[in-house]
Amino acid sequence: MRALVIGGSGFVGLRVVDALLARGDTVRVTRRKSTPTVLFGRRPLEMAWASLEDRASLVEAMRGCDAALLAGAYYPRYSTDLAGSVAIATRGMRNACDAAHECGVRLVYSSSVAALGPARDGAAADEDDCAPPDPREGVYPTVKKSMERELDDARARGLDAVSLLLGGCIGPRDYRLGTNGLLAALLGGVLPFRIDGWINVLSVDDAAAAHVAALGARGERYCVGGHNVRIDALLSQAAERYGVPYDLPTVDLDEARVRASEAEVEAEARRARVAFPRELVDLVAMGKPVRSERAERDLALRWSDLDAALDATRDWMARVGPAKRAAAADEGRRHHAG
Amino acid sequence: MLAENDLRSRMQKLVAEILEIDAGTVSATSRLREDLGMDSLGSLELLSSISEELNIHLDIDDAMGIVTFADACSFVEDAMHRQSGGDARA
Repeated sequence: MRALVIGGSGFVGLRVVDALLARGDTVRVTRRKSTPTVLFGRRPLEMAWASLEDRASLVEAMRGCDAALLAGAYYPRYSTDLAGSVAIATRGMRNACDAAHECGVRLVYSSSVAALGPARDGAAADEDDCAPPDPREGVYPTVKKSMERELDDARARGLDAVSLLLGGCIGPRDYRLGTNGLLAALLGGVLPFRIDGWINVLSVDDAAAAHVAALGARGERYCVGGHNVRIDALLSQAAERYGVPYDLPTVDLDEARVRASEAEVEAEARRARVAFPRELVDLVAMGKPVRSERAERDLALRWSDLDAALDATRDWMARVGPAKRAAAADEGRRHHAG
Repeated sequence: MLAENDLRSRMQKLVAEILEIDAGTVSATSRLREDLGMDSLGSLELLSSISEELNIHLDIDDAMGIVTFADACSFVEDAMHRQSGGDARA
């Protein structure tokens, strides 16, 4: 099979690339001028200049491919511009869907559990709990729900598509720090507060396996939530496991939203990443257990051990990762305290 | 192979392009993040551009310790040296 990966240099995308290469597929990746191609290393890849902003370039990139995997859809780095973020996200999604439809290839889309609404049974949400966008939930959930709706519209026009509603992915080599940013902030002692609520976490390798399996799946939408955990318990256990302090004030979700938003406005000017981004506060606020049984059955998924995934992430961060400074600071603090 | 001065000049221009700043503000001791405001995406874009131009492989994990512009230049020079068959610098 020849598969196109859109966003193949990203944290999830690169794992998808590796999973496809491992099973012997020919892999083509899209690139733009700003794509960090250095992350591709020596992998044997075909490259196609394409952008989600340019439908014709996507059609050209998909030509000759048997499937396309959209692992690099728009990700609002800052939750500061709702209308602008939704517009960019849905435009790119529509272009990818139209291109895949025109080329007659299946589109596998890396979506998010943020596209889910409340659980119908009040306990755990599943694929049938997708909900329309609600701007009150924040930028990230609204963007993800809007994109899922865009995909539904494309399906109605005849697109063959599978969406994977991923939980937060953790693992080494996340150079841009998504969910892993929380662990980096914990290790670096820069978490500003603690909050509590449900989150869904999985190893990035499990997410990659889901993408490959989805190429041959019959279903249209799968929850790939991984482990359902309380964020405060997860961070408490991680702090204890790695010997770092977690003695922080607990704030309610309204206060956490305000503080995260203020930090992002300040950080955006410096192009910096905040320790507890607003998108993660929003995810916790709307968090719930997610039932991933359909993916476990149809995609033959088994969740990797969470502690093992955290250990691998922590080891990478301490060795080379973006949290190297944070880890060094941590060492310094422990030395000082000792 | 690109001469050392040419490499530094080229990288100076790339940093300026990525950050949309005057190349003259980029000095050897400039800290990419703290002084120039280059985030991790910008750093990756810089190393990607230069590795493509010079057709060299850069191990990005090794690049995470880069702090200053001079560090970045030395990192690339070391990779060029190694991959052209020379001995790695100490």
